[in-house]
Amino acid sequence: MKNNVIGYYSTKFGELWERSLDDLLREALHGVLAETQLEAAQIDAIFLGNMLGGIVERSLLLSAHISEILGTNIPVYRVESACASGGMAFQMANDYLKANSGKTVIVIGAEKMTDVSPGEITEALSAAASPEEQDAGLTFPGVYALMAQYYLAKYGYTEEHLASIAVKNHDHGALNEKAHFQRAIDLNQVLGSQYVAFPLKVLDSSPISDGAAAVIMTNVDTLINNHKSVQVLAAETATDTISLSKRENLDELKATRIAGDKAFQTAGIARSDVQVMEVHDCFSIAEIFALEDLGFWTKGQGGKLAKEMSTHINSGNNLIVNTSGGLKAAGHPVGGTGIKQIGEVYLQLTGQANKRQVNNVKHGLTHNVGGSGGVAVVSILGV
Amino acid sequence: MKSPVSAWRKQKTVRNSLGMYGEIISWTTISVAPPRFSYLTPYVVVLVQLQDNRKVYGQLVDVEQKDVKIGQKVTSILRKTAQATAEEVVEYGLKFELTD
Amino acid sequence: MSGIVSYGYYVPRYRIKTETIAAQWGKCDDKIEKSLKVHEKAVAGLDEDVATMSYAASTMAFGDIKETKQSIGAVFIGSETFPYAVKPVSTSIAEWLDIPHGYLALDTQFACKAATGALIAAHGLVASKQIDHALICAADRANAKPNDALEYAAGSGANAWVLGNENVLAEIEGWSSYSSDTPDFWRRSKQDYPSHAGRFSGEPGYFQHLLSASNNLLTKLNRTAENYTYAAFHMPNGAFPLKAAKSLGFTVDQLKASYIVPQLGNSYAASALMGLVGTLEVAQPGETIFFCSYGSGAGADAISFKVTKEILKRRRVFAETLQQKTYIDYATYLRFMGMI
Repeated sequence: MKNNVIGYYSTKFGELWERSLDDLLREALHGVLAETQLEAAQIDAIFLGNMLGGIVERSLLLSAHISEILGTNIPVYRVESACASGGMAFQMANDYLKANSGKTVIVIGAEKMTDVSPGEITEALSAAASPEEQDAGLTFPGVYALMAQYYLAKYGYTEEHLASIAVKNHDHGALNEKAHFQRAIDLNQVLGSQYVAFPLKVLDSSPISDGAAAVIMTNVDTLINNHKSVQVLAAETATDTISLSKRENLDELKATRIAGDKAFQTAGIARSDVQVMEVHDCFSIAEIFALEDLGFWTKGQGGKLAKEMSTHINSGNNLIVNTSGGLKAAGHPVGGTGIKQIGEVYLQLTGQANKRQVNNVKHGLTHNVGGSGGVAVVSILGV
Repeated sequence: MKSPVSAWRKQKTVRNSLGMYGEIISWTTISVAPPRFSYLTPYVVVLVQLQDNRKVYGQLVDVEQKDVKIGQKVTSILRKTAQATAEEVVEYGLKFELTD
Repeated sequence: MSGIVSYGYYVPRYRIKTETIAAQWGKCDDKIEKSLKVHEKAVAGLDEDVATMSYAASTMAFGDIKETKQSIGAVFIGSETFPYAVKPVSTSIAEWLDIPHGYLALDTQFACKAATGALIAAHGLVASKQIDHALICAADRANAKPNDALEYAAGSGANAWVLGNENVLAEIEGWSSYSSDTPDFWRRSKQDYPSHAGRFSGEPGYFQHLLSASNNLLTKLNRTAENYTYAAFHMPNGAFPLKAAKSLGFTVDQLKASYIVPQLGNSYAASALMGLVGTLEVAQPGETIFFCSYGSGAGADAISFKVTKEILKRRRVFAETLQQKTYIDYATYLRFMGMI
C-alpha cells in the first residue's frame, strides 16, 4: 500500500516565551493525535527532526522525552540535518513505511530558539557551516550572502529583486493564522531594513522562531480511507559539500537539483503537474535558487521572475509558492520547518488551507535545505 | 572556545596559505556576528581563489565596503581571528588584504 | 663579518593625529605638537598584535632570501606588549615562517630596548660562528592610559632583522651597553597601562643612559660623530632624539632619515630600529650608521654599522609606503586599542 499523510497539526510559530522544547513537542504530538482521532497506542514509531536541542537547550536523547510525554515505549528516531532536520525525518519515515507494511508513524519537527541571545543562536546555527567558514567569522546569512552577491553580479540583478521574495511571502503569511508574521510588508521596508550580511537584510531573512509541527503517515488502508489522505509520491534527498568553497558553482544548490530530479522521477509526474510548493526560503536568494534548481525556472531568470511575483497567490498563475508564508513569514523553527512544509501542502491538497487555499490542487512539492545546501530533501505529495 | 590542540593543528594549514595571491570570487559584510567575532563588526569576508586554484575564506582587512569588488586581487596575511577570552589561547588565522 | 643580512618592517595602516587626541581632552594641540614634535602616530588594527606584526615584518625580511630559513639558529623577539604573560611568541613566528625546529627561541622584555639586547646577543652567537643565522623581531602595540602624556606618542609597529656572516648589508662594527636600576617607566603585571615617573625619565633616564652608551662606543671605536654618515636613536617623542643627537655632535642632516617619530609615533621596542629602517632606505655602500636604543628601567644599546654593497640588493622601500594610511577618530582609536 502507498504511504499517505492522514493528518497534520502545528503549534503557532513565533516567539513562544512560555513554551519549552518539551512543551512544543507535547502540543504537537497530542495535537496531531487529536486531529486524526488516533491513540498513542496506534503509533508504531516516531521520527523527530531537531537541530539545536543539544547545543542550545543542552537536551539530547529527545527520544526519551517523547516517550515520557506520550507514555509509550515505541522506537523514536531523532534526525539531525540542520535546517533540513524535519524534511529528513519525513524522508526517513517514508523509507521506513516502504519497508514495513501495516505501520503508522508520527513525524514531528520541533525547535526552541528564543531562550538564548541572537548572537548565541547565530553561533549555534553556524555549527552547520564548515569549520573554515566558522573560522573566517562567516555566519549562516553570511554564507548565503556570498551566494547572493555572486548571483546578483553574474546575472545583473539588484537587492530589489531579492526583496520581492520577502514581500510575496509576507503577503501569504498574512493569510496564515499560525505564521510568525501575519502582516504584509512593502519593498521599501525590506530595502530599508538593517543589513545582516550584505546584501542580505533583516527582512530578506527568516526569523528566529519557536515551533513544532507533526504529521501522521501510514500505509494502513483503513486509516487512509477514513481520513483526509494525501499520497506521498516521493521523498528524496541528496547531499553536497559542507563548504561552499568546495563547490563548482556558487549560483546553485546542487543537492536541490539532484534531490528534485530524483523526486520527479520517483513520483512519475511532470513539473507542470505541480500547483503548490513550499520551498526553503531561509533567505530571499534561497527561494530564487530553489525555483531554478528544482527546474521550474531557467538558471539566471529567477531574479526577474521573483520581481514579477509570478508565484504570488494572486498572480493567477498555475504555480503558487510558499502559501504558508514560507520560512520568511511563517517562521523558521529549524527542525519544525520541514514538517510544516509537508503539512501546508497537505492542507492545500485536502482543501483545508482556508484563506490561502489554492483552487484545484492535485500535486504539491516541498523542498527543505540543510546548511548552505549540504543537504536537500524534496518531497512530492498528490491526491 | 577553541581547543589549543585544534589551534595547534591549524598552524600548518594556515602556514601553507600565507603570502599567496588570489582573486575575490564573492564577498559579504557581516553585521551580525557570532559573539566571538562581534568585536570586529562590521567586517568583510571574502571567498578567494588562490594562485594554486584552491578556494579559501578569510576576512578582508583594513578596507571599506565601497572599495570591495568581485574579481579584485588580494594577498593572504596573518591576523587574529575570533576573540579569545583571557584564559584561552589567542586565535590566529588567514585573512586578506587588497593587493596594491 | 657579522651583521644584518636582511630586514623587514611593518607599520599598520591606521593613524591618529595629535590634534585629534588633544581635542578630546581640551588641550591646545599646537603646544603639544610643538613640545612633543609628534604629528601623528601609527595604530594597530583590532586584529593585529605583536605576533601578527612581527610575522609581517619577518615575511618581508625573508622575501628574497627564503632559503636562509633553513639555517636559522636563533629566533628572538623583543616587546613590552606580548599577547601572553607566559608562552613564547618567538616560536609562533618561527612556526608560521616554517623555520626548521633546531633553533634557540627567546622572548625578551626591557621596555623600548627589548629587541636591541636580543640583537646584540644574537650577534654574539653569529659572530662566534655558533649559529649561521638569527632572526630578531622588534614589535609593540603600545598603549597608554587615556589623557596620559604618553597617549600622544605610544604607537604600533614592528621590524625584523636577519643576522649572518655572509652577504651582510650592514656590518656590526661594535657595540656598547649602559645599564642601571632607574625606575623611570614600568608596567606591573596584570596592569593594562604603563606608569611613569614623568620628567624623571628625561635626564636620569633617557639622556644619562643613551649618551653614556653612545659616548662609550665612540671612545671604544676611537671615533666622533663626524665619522658617521647617519645616526638613529630611540624616539620616545620628537624632542629627545634631537637633543641627544645635538649633545653627541650629530647634525640634523645625519639624523634626518631615521627621524620618523613625527609621522609614526613611538613604536616602543620597534622605535629606534624603525629609525634604522629609515636610514637603510637611503644609505649607500661604505657609509656608516651610529645607532642607540633606550629602554626604561633603564639601559641603552649603542651599535655601529657599516653599510656594504649588499644594500643595493635588499634595500626596502619605506617612506613611500608610510603614505598608505587611514586616519581614525578618537572613539575608533579607543576601540582599536581595546579600551572600549
